[in-house]
Amino acid sequence: MTLRIAEKKGEWINRDMPLTFTYEGQTVQAFEGDTMSSALWAAGIKVLGRSFKYHRARGLLSFANHDVNALMTDGVDTNIRADVIPVSHGMELFAVNTEGGVVKDKNRFIDRLSPFLPVGFYYKTFFKPRMMFPFWENKIRKAAGLGKVNFDYPRQLRPKRNAHCDVLIIGAGPSGLSAALTAANHGKQVILVDENRYAGGSLGYDHAADSSTSDKLETLLKQVSEHSNIRLICDAYAGGYYGDHLVPIVGKEGITKVRARSVIVATGAFEQPPVFRNNDLPGVMLGSAAQRLVHRYAVKPFHRGVVVTANDHGYRTALDLAAAGVEVLALVDMRQQSGDEQLAAAVASKGITIHLASCIYEVIPSSDKLGVAEVVLAGYDEQTASARFERSSRIACDGVAMSAGWAPAAALLYQAGTKMRYDYAVEQFVPAQLPEGVFAAGKVNGVYDLALRLRDGQRAAADAVRYLGGQDVEQIEVAQSFQLAPSHAYPIVHHPDGKNFVDFDEDIQVKDFINAAKEGFDNIELMKRFTTVGMGPSQGKHSNMNAIRILARIRQLPVEQIGTTTARPFFHPTPLAHLGGRGFHPHRLTAMHEWHVNHGGVMMEAGVWMRPAWYQPQGAKLTAQEAVQQEAMAVRKAAGMIDGSTLGKIEVFGQDAGAFLERFYTGKFADLRVGSSRVALLLDEAGVMVDDGVAARLAEDKFYVSTNSSNAATVYREMQRNLQLWGMSVTLVNLTGAMAAMTLAGPASRSILTELTELDVFEEAFPQGAIRTAEIAGVQARIMRVAFVADLAFEIHVPSSSALHIWQNIMKTGQPFGLRPFGTDAQRLLRLEMGHHLISHDTDGLTNPFEAHAGGLLAMDKAFFTGQRSLQILAAKPLKKQLVKFVLDPGFSAELPKECNLVINAGQITGRVTSIAYSEYLNRVIGMAFVAPDQAANGQQFEIRTDDGLLVKARVVQGSFFKLSAQ
Amino acid sequence: MPLSLLKYALSREHPAPRFFRDCTEPKKTYDAVIIGGGGHGLAAAYYLAKDFGITNVAVLEKGYIGGGNTGRNTTIVRSNYLTPEGVNFYDASVQMYEGLSQELDINLFYSTRGHFTLAHTESAMRTMRWRAEVNKHVGVESYVVGPEEILKACPQLDISCSGQAPILGALYHAPGSVARHDAVAWGYAKEADRMGVEIFQNTEVTGIDVKSGKVVGVQTNKGYISTGRVLSAVAGFTPRITEMVGIETPIVIHPLQACVSEPMKPWLNTILVSGSLHVYVSQSSRGELVMGSSLDPYEVHSTRSSLDFVEGLSSHIVDMFPFLGNVKVVRQWAGMADITPDFAPIMGKTPVEGFYLDAGWGTWGFKATPISGKTMAETMARDMAPELIKSFRLSRFEEYELTGEKGAASVGH
Amino acid sequence: MKLLQCPVNGTRPISEFTYGGEYREAPDPQTCSDKVWADYVHNRHGAPGLKKEWWYHGPSGTWFIAERNTLTDSVSRTYLFGQEKDA
Ligand SMILES: Cc1cc2nc3c(=O)[nH]c(=O)nc-3n(C[C@H](O)[C@H](O)[C@H](O)COP(=O)(O)OP(=O)(O)OC[C@H]3O[C@@H](n4cnc5c(N)ncnc54)[C@H](O)[C@@H]3O)c2cc1C
Repeated sequence: MTLRIAEKKGEWINRDMPLTFTYEGQTVQAFEGDTMSSALWAAGIKVLGRSFKYHRARGLLSFANHDVNALMTDGVDTNIRADVIPVSHGMELFAVNTEGGVVKDKNRFIDRLSPFLPVGFYYKTFFKPRMMFPFWENKIRKAAGLGKVNFDYPRQLRPKRNAHCDVLIIGAGPSGLSAALTAANHGKQVILVDENRYAGGSLGYDHAADSSTSDKLETLLKQVSEHSNIRLICDAYAGGYYGDHLVPIVGKEGITKVRARSVIVATGAFEQPPVFRNNDLPGVMLGSAAQRLVHRYAVKPFHRGVVVTANDHGYRTALDLAAAGVEVLALVDMRQQSGDEQLAAAVASKGITIHLASCIYEVIPSSDKLGVAEVVLAGYDEQTASARFERSSRIACDGVAMSAGWAPAAALLYQAGTKMRYDYAVEQFVPAQLPEGVFAAGKVNGVYDLALRLRDGQRAAADAVRYLGGQDVEQIEVAQSFQLAPSHAYPIVHHPDGKNFVDFDEDIQVKDFINAAKEGFDNIELMKRFTTVGMGPSQGKHSNMNAIRILARIRQLPVEQIGTTTARPFFHPTPLAHLGGRGFHPHRLTAMHEWHVNHGGVMMEAGVWMRPAWYQPQGAKLTAQEAVQQEAMAVRKAAGMIDGSTLGKIEVFGQDAGAFLERFYTGKFADLRVGSSRVALLLDEAGVMVDDGVAARLAEDKFYVSTNSSNAATVYREMQRNLQLWGMSVTLVNLTGAMAAMTLAGPASRSILTELTELDVFEEAFPQGAIRTAEIAGVQARIMRVAFVADLAFEIHVPSSSALHIWQNIMKTGQPFGLRPFGTDAQRLLRLEMGHHLISHDTDGLTNPFEAHAGGLLAMDKAFFTGQRSLQILAAKPLKKQLVKFVLDPGFSAELPKECNLVINAGQITGRVTSIAYSEYLNRVIGMAFVAPDQAANGQQFEIRTDDGLLVKARVVQGSFFKLSAQ
Repeated sequence: MPLSLLKYALSREHPAPRFFRDCTEPKKTYDAVIIGGGGHGLAAAYYLAKDFGITNVAVLEKGYIGGGNTGRNTTIVRSNYLTPEGVNFYDASVQMYEGLSQELDINLFYSTRGHFTLAHTESAMRTMRWRAEVNKHVGVESYVVGPEEILKACPQLDISCSGQAPILGALYHAPGSVARHDAVAWGYAKEADRMGVEIFQNTEVTGIDVKSGKVVGVQTNKGYISTGRVLSAVAGFTPRITEMVGIETPIVIHPLQACVSEPMKPWLNTILVSGSLHVYVSQSSRGELVMGSSLDPYEVHSTRSSLDFVEGLSSHIVDMFPFLGNVKVVRQWAGMADITPDFAPIMGKTPVEGFYLDAGWGTWGFKATPISGKTMAETMARDMAPELIKSFRLSRFEEYELTGEKGAASVGH
Repeated sequence: MKLLQCPVNGTRPISEFTYGGEYREAPDPQTCSDKVWADYVHNRHGAPGLKKEWWYHGPSGTWFIAERNTLTDSVSRTYLFGQEKDA
């Protein structure tokens, strides 16, 4: 039997657009604009899901995006919130977390086991004997969770937007709307957001049968939409409040990050359920949920029902229900007296019997346990929170609407750092001290009367405008007027058989709190953790307040002494794709990138850069190892070239340039001749090796410094900092991106270069370490003799814009000489053959220069350099380890030890291999390792343990690898 | 249905006693005072009583027990560290954890799921091998595996990480586990209380009295307590306590954040950590994905959340699992991590006699809860640190003998 | 804190900045004891409160000092090193 009623003014459905979908295989008719829940409810389908723990049948509760028992899957997506997500034509919906369908769910037997599952039961069992835990755990994991994830769900990229405004107003109910108008009228740029599809908040559904309410709403909305200073965003929620008024607005398509100058929180309040046995049956719902159903979707919540209330809102609900054609059989008021006389009279005039000082003791389920059959009314004793049976009666009905009070939707206020206090006049937490630039209005501020809410919005807006500098704006006072609080202090009815639910996400009953307290979990945070109240997907929106009230009773303390739990982001669960945004992780590419790719470069990530590890020559099918050996051999026998653009490149100039480098690096630079260079070793204050580059002197007052690729940014930054600190007359220019570099190495490199430049590149004129400026292939370049990969090698630095041109020219010119490009793998091998360590490859975060044989780079006699004082301390201490070069026996052919295999001496770890490679050129396995200082002498043997546990003998080499005899 | 639950169904009165007494007024004097009712402080109290019979002990907790980092952490327990000292120490902890549910008579949900530290670069692979070799040497099960083995344990993983950072391999650690953090604190509290230790919640230490280099008592919001032995086990609050006794340490406080998704049917059965993407993830027995990232970039002494954190984390999680796009984050939170420069704790005696420090637990201290409790209890009882924690002494910084964990800093845990 | 004021470039989002740690005055390396130097290198004033810190504005390459309360994460003022008086 359909529950859809005649058209309601302002309804959210489009009756011209009927649609069909299926739910658990059953075909259902609906209208465009219906949510899944409203469509099902209209069709008389009330079992919308099963609860998390006991698998009880559940229907509608809040209709406000926290009906977490009504989660659906459409086969693609899961955990879809049926209460708010619109249904579309052709959808095939199923409830999540059931076995064998929502009605026949095989797990519904668990409900009967509930006496065996006391609060925190899982802490008390399943672990004895120990070996049984995996068995039980497996069962528990099977039962856990809600929906199933769809592993084929397509990847979503959701770019983010940014927005700025003077006043961000969250919540477009009456107070938010009026705040927006006030702020906008003062010339402020306003963004007004609301999570609902349409603005209006309670004005849209809480009418108490007064049809003029929708006219009021219409007028307000018209003013707002016509105001050029207001941008209204609906169907999007404020996910959280972050420092300096940053609020992500989460919409269907993505997140807009709003940076506001001030924020008004007008988020209203969540209606709270009274607690009585079987208050979770399908058909029992919050009063506001029933009102939303009626006014937004033109659906009756039930045919014949009872309203149970502990405030005036229940009266308003009863009137709305009656106006919608629901037969309201009784209004059960838990209070001793009713509040607003006019409301009470209106209710009575509809023929609805009002039962004061009464409660619902329990709801009797229908025989299939899937709905309401009867309610048991009784007197209510507020002191003991129990029913009195002298006035007990039964009413047959098919639904209950319940209104016991409110909890402020204050999550954003808490996140902003608001101090809240408990106000007994409203029986609610209200802001006591708001942080700068944050304001609250309406129900969240404890203001309930409609006229007052409108005024409170104006008041908050005026406060915000004044905060933004509008000194002349007048302060507005909002008087509070209450007879009775809108929330009941203790709307809880105890029942010996329990099933009086406080938390519907987690199936927590009143006795669970009492028992948790008995076990010592009697402060709110411990109780929350032990019972898991508020930990479910609705984050306690309908349960935390009652939990606090129950605990206050147990402890015999006033509510404010119980305190609240912290409200963390997010306001509603927020999709990972929305948060992740575009998911774009940029890499930097050198000017020659494309060339590398086109020439078989196997590109690898190297810090922020992509670099070729090795090249697969056209048409060849080399293994990486073969390619690397060939590339290295080319450098040794002919020539090779590597793209070194990733090196850090910094120009240091000014009167103090030399003096500055002397303080910054370990070596001497003041006496460096123009046109030559020196290794620049950088330490941190603790004496640990951080970087080694080269500093070349271009002029008396100008140096060109290179750093390791991975340290380019940090070294430049540290230079800048020290420059400020030391107050020297130096200018720094970071040329890392602007300049490209390439190293042309090998015996033929000189001949190749000669063909491209006028510069005299022969030994006399251009010795090791020298730097020259000259034209290469028509481009002005800086050329350096460096010996990292080969004795004869030229590092050529040119502007990035001409780098590819130079590179191609050199490659072409070099072809007859056997020039090959080489990648980072061959570079590492070549560098190892040369006996140079690589910082942070052969050293680690603790290595000092004494351990790495870098003592020669330290000018300890200088007045100061960074790390020097620590080195003085370290110098006096015995060495713990030493980095040495080693070789394996000639002809070694067993499993090659790997980098990071350990050096073992008498069963103890004394070090590790930091580099190891077979060198075809040397026909030896060579490497570097940390060893104990007493293992470090030239020719000494030590043992390396391989992956397979074999001990391989290695021999320390102190001279050059190239001088090795065949022995 | 286990039989042990029968009594709950059969008795009218809830048959379980209090976990711990409701202590409110501290005595004038105790043999030892422990500041901090997190896992570490409570464990130290338990082992003082159990191993050394020292029961005249007060644990002072300014909030509620387990409310610090213990109750905020993502509970990864493992021992495959880099240095032999580290591996030995954490391995001792793992071994204690394995029987701890039975010892404390509470189900800690200690769940051994296997732990993969993913490597996306060659240099990460090297570090994995280094760790693997050291672990093998010490006798802890941890070895390098290739993509196939990772996929076997987690077939849903996009091994190319959406093409952003292809996974080359991983360090696998079979003993890697997760546990219920609160239960660890409650279990230690329960058993310590049973042996006579008094636990005071809402009791804050506001000062420490030192006379001629010796601790003589502590000031609290509940009055003065005299004692000759004080343990500071306050994690993110350590600098505030050391300031009270005039000790400087290298510890700085950075927020460390985490978040959980809504519950879904369990599918992720292992613990995955990616140093390069700065994320780690496991799925709890409630079905939530528990996710975390690296430290916040600068010092703050508060537990506020940031949007940057959850944005970065989400983007990387979706790289690893592209199908999770519409799975929702329910809640994010933060703790205050006490970070040392060498990623190892500071444990043992201090220049102030009778003042013992258990700190510097940063992002990795939950796994050490049992062993730190045990070794700190011994240190207090004997006034001498056991061999196992010697390399974690405070004086190592002055001596320039930092631990080698600094050698391979990546995402902790 | 989501915004920070660079003394040269004005208020910018925090993502543009890099934290450079607490500013600590170095003891004179020529005259100080090993212990004092080790303390300078390793130890930190870890307790919360108002601190002078190094911050770096990346896009413009500007280092400056921020006086920040590490408890509330609020910055009271920023200035270039050595220009404290003029700030
Ligand atoms: C988000 C996050 C994730 C983490 N993930 C992991 C992980 O996966 N694995 C892992 O091993 N570790 C992890 N950690 C680290 C781990 O949580 C901590 O190192 C560990 O819990 C520290 O325990 P504790 O008992 O020393 O400190 P806490 O649990 O913080 O306890 C200290 C207690 O001292 C109290 N206190 C402070 N000052 C005073 C005072 N003056 N008087 C009285 N009491 C005081 C505090 O209230 C607090 O309860 C994580 C941490 C965080 C924040």
